[in-house]
Amino acid sequence: MKAVKKIFKHWEMFLLVFLVLEFVIFGAVNPKFLRPQSIMNSIVNYISVCIIALFVTLVMITGGIDIQAASIIGLTSIIQGYLWSDLGVNIWVAVLLAIVVAAICGGLSGFFIAYCGVQPMVVTLGGSFLYSGLALLVSGMSATPAYQGISGFPSKAEDGSFIDYRFLGKGELLGVPMPIVIYVVLIVLCVWLLHRTKYGERLYLIGVNQQAAEYSGINTRMTILSTYVLSAVSAALAGTILTSNVNSAKYNLGSGYTLAIITAVVLGGTLNTGGKGSILGTVLASLIICILRYGLPLCFDVSTQNLDLPVGIILVLVVLGREIAGRGMIAKAIRTFKKSAAA
Amino acid sequence: MSKVKGLFKARWMSSLIFLLLLFLITGVAEPDFLSYSNIISCFNTATMYTLLAIGIAFVIMTGEIDVSIGSTLGLSAAMTGLIAKQDGSIGVMLLAVVATGAVIGLINGVGVACFGVPSLIFTLGTNSVVRGMIYILSDGRTVENFGGSLASYGNLTLFAEITLYYALAVLLVAVAHIVLTKTRKGKYFIAVGDNAGGANLVGISVTGTKLLAYVLCGVFAGLGGFVFASKYGQVMTVAGNGYEMTAIAACVLGGISLSGGLGNMVGAAIGAVIMSSISRLLVFIGLPSTYDNTITGIMLIVIVVIDALTQRRSIEMARRKRLLSRTAETAAEGECQA
Repeated sequence: MKAVKKIFKHWEMFLLVFLVLEFVIFGAVNPKFLRPQSIMNSIVNYISVCIIALFVTLVMITGGIDIQAASIIGLTSIIQGYLWSDLGVNIWVAVLLAIVVAAICGGLSGFFIAYCGVQPMVVTLGGSFLYSGLALLVSGMSATPAYQGISGFPSKAEDGSFIDYRFLGKGELLGVPMPIVIYVVLIVLCVWLLHRTKYGERLYLIGVNQQAAEYSGINTRMTILSTYVLSAVSAALAGTILTSNVNSAKYNLGSGYTLAIITAVVLGGTLNTGGKGSILGTVLASLIICILRYGLPLCFDVSTQNLDLPVGIILVLVVLGREIAGRGMIAKAIRTFKKSAAA
Repeated sequence: MSKVKGLFKARWMSSLIFLLLLFLITGVAEPDFLSYSNIISCFNTATMYTLLAIGIAFVIMTGEIDVSIGSTLGLSAAMTGLIAKQDGSIGVMLLAVVATGAVIGLINGVGVACFGVPSLIFTLGTNSVVRGMIYILSDGRTVENFGGSLASYGNLTLFAEITLYYALAVLLVAVAHIVLTKTRKGKYFIAVGDNAGGANLVGISVTGTKLLAYVLCGVFAGLGGFVFASKYGQVMTVAGNGYEMTAIAACVLGGISLSGGLGNMVGAAIGAVIMSSISRLLVFIGLPSTYDNTITGIMLIVIVVIDALTQRRSIEMARRKRLLSRTAETAAEGECQA
């Protein structure tokens, strides 16, 4: 019993147990589930959410929220496609330009949030309209019809392997798909940034108490702005990988990911009021959702349309459970405090 | 006179002026726009968003948020369609949508108000659950061909080209506005949003008020679903997807603060009209509808930034005034002592 309680104390531990349970249950029901290739493919399919969730975690630790990242996926995708196919820009220059545009978008929203004091949710809501609208406009400038998507990116070498731009989304490094390699690199980067640097400490401090952080000499506004730039850049990376993976640049790529990203972050234990959260939690939560979306149709014949329901139920139950467990702990803490006070 | 001044200071007034300005700009660009039927149809098309916006306004005023209303709208719309297919009466449909909305709202309210789960997280979860239930209810297919009397109500006009639904929605806005500003219970919503701890201390049930706000929000979203089914005559499984964001944007445009405790229903209703008429206005200005989201986004950001800056300025002015009066006082005291 004590061991169980200890597990619940560490949220990441609970998530890990949950993830392992998923593997055990799905694997027992259908051995096909355990093929590494399929598992990796399922992660690649969900890679945008996984990558963006990492950096939205940083935003949410400062007490903000970012619901514009999903629209930036489409914006970067279509900018790359437009620059490359209509203007004949080198694809890597196009990628770089798209990332710069995304950084500007993130910076703009971050500026309004940090320097004008507008609520993050409102600004990024406006941003999600604005950037998805811009994506549509860029798409309108292209010669390719918007619904078709720009395709035919530089792809295959003579021996049939993916090179150049498409290597990002389809290539493999030592048998591991490139998107996952990039994801792992970004995880390491994020863990280092958040848990090993002063920058990360500042993020937590800002989330706990922005005023106190300001008084202790932290440039809180610049730091908050930087988190939005980071999350926008990560969305640009995700957009690049997604475009390269599906070989099609479209203005509405990833448009439905907004709530999925937030779900992954909050399931990972990050508080939306700020000051608490970890990269490991976000990674585990992303993987849990991802494996669930892959395993349920394969092992329990849940139709792929129907996946919202189980993911939603799990989210609701988990947050409720955490809240109730947390209350129990608070009550216990008060009891022990009273006891010690009486003594 | 002071009443007139107060009227101009009211936050919803600026959104009304903004709406009129939008109409005027469109009128300058294309004089044909300024006809009665064009302007009134801007209002008529806003029916659904008006219902959603006043519903969510209750929740936002208490300082919480509800992102599940889009799915709730979809589920009630699908339900309305299925009942209509079996020749159910309008009364049964209304009962079903109100009950659906109330139950979903109650679940949200219990999670947020009783268990203290952050509202964004909890309603995100219920959003997925309700969306999933639409798939189960409709078997993953579009609910359509239900026709009958339901569809005929969709475009029924009462008088002067105002549709029945919009008239009813306006009535609901009026009732909600009066309840919020004139009754004791109604003022609780703002009080809880402004200062939950303070409200609790003076004996207002914070939990109860939030619970009620969520139930009302769900019911309004349910009614929105009824309007949706009646108006479009078919309900896809993704019906209402993303409507929650539009409704939130409408509230923000209407001067309701997302941190709670500020704003009123008239503002939310005007915001809904702004949100839903943008695409129509763009057509008259001569821009293709692809500019829709861009303009909406720019407008939303500009308005909230201006609002935040003016608010900050007024706070600073008030502080300066306080400081100045205090220094004047101490100076006067000093003179006395001397």
